[in-house]
Amino acid sequence: MDETQLIARVRAGDSAAERALYDAHVDRVYRLAFRLSGDDTLAQDFTQEAFIRAFDKLSSFRGESAFSTWLHTITTTVVLNGLRKVKRFRQREADIDDAQEIGSTHRHAEPDLKLRLKKAIDELPEGYRTVFLMHDVEGYTHEEIGAALGVETGTSKAQLSRARAKLRVALADFAGEWIA
Amino acid sequence: MMDQHEDPQFDQWLKDVARTTYHAPRTPPRDEMWKRIEAARRHKQVVVIRPWLRWALAAAAVLVLGIGIGRVSVVKEQHIAKAPAQAVQDTIDALANQAYQIAATQYLSRTETFLTAFRADANRSANTARLARQARDLLSTTQLMLDSPAAKDPRLRSLLEDLELVLMQISLLNPLEDGRDRDLITQGMNQSNVLPKLRSAIPAGPVPVRTEGAL
Repeated sequence: MDETQLIARVRAGDSAAERALYDAHVDRVYRLAFRLSGDDTLAQDFTQEAFIRAFDKLSSFRGESAFSTWLHTITTTVVLNGLRKVKRFRQREADIDDAQEIGSTHRHAEPDLKLRLKKAIDELPEGYRTVFLMHDVEGYTHEEIGAALGVETGTSKAQLSRARAKLRVALADFAGEWIA
Repeated sequence: MMDQHEDPQFDQWLKDVARTTYHAPRTPPRDEMWKRIEAARRHKQVVVIRPWLRWALAAAAVLVLGIGIGRVSVVKEQHIAKAPAQAVQDTIDALANQAYQIAATQYLSRTETFLTAFRADANRSANTARLARQARDLLSTTQLMLDSPAAKDPRLRSLLEDLELVLMQISLLNPLEDGRDRDLITQGMNQSNVLPKLRSAIPAGPVPVRTEGAL
């Protein structure tokens, strides 16, 4: 059975078809949610939310794009909105903690490559980071990214280029690693 | 043509390192997530605030004002009619119901943000005392909501009761506890599917409606 038939059966209320559609896409949705959030609990939450919304809105899916493109549009919206909320909450916590710890000093250990890479990617602007993770890490095409984020393909390419440039600068200390 | 600043060797190295070290995904728990999706979908939307509803609310407010002015005029003329008075009462009731729905949506949104962050931070050294205080604030609102007309809806009532229990547990967290209590609360949240139910109760409306007053 092809995907169009599967979607038609889901629309008709076939719960087995719902599960089959979920099974066909859940791994990629979860991978993207995890790459963007870096947290298993949040990734599960976002994956569930994306599928709940997709099933609820399936009547509005007209088949003009691939189902996976439509589903990943929902996924990126759910993940980015969810992360903004969590970030705001954590920022409030951090601001209060900082205010309470005025005068205290911290020593940070010299980070290794993995930590530096994580920090560099985390500090990218949201758009650059999302495009970098979707394209270079998860293998989405610029067309898929453009559709998911609601931007032009050229914008996606430009953001990827800027993301790489920022990462190149941030990781300049490790130059020998890739030349070798 | 390659940009003069591009470095294919670096790009390839970066891809390889990022794929293997940056947020490398685990195997997703398909069945567990599916069970939660099914449970949340059974627990359909509770409160529906659509953009048109806000316009309807504004229109109703104008209507009340108009009727009120008309009524004052009539009083002055000592010709009070029963029908307009009933219309005013009906409109006021309708407005009150809408107000409760808006309050419910904002409260649910705040609670969802709080519980999402609580669960995500369950293993972190977040300030337990502050979490407990925030939970107490939300708990007070939960109890007010349970006593309000919004809780007449059995699904919303059931959700509010679940939230009351979770928030009560968080509000009682001991600042000196070693994390086991948090784990138990998180396990309870997972078992009762409280977050998926909560999310399905929040309408996918515009951001100002959904997150106004959010944490």
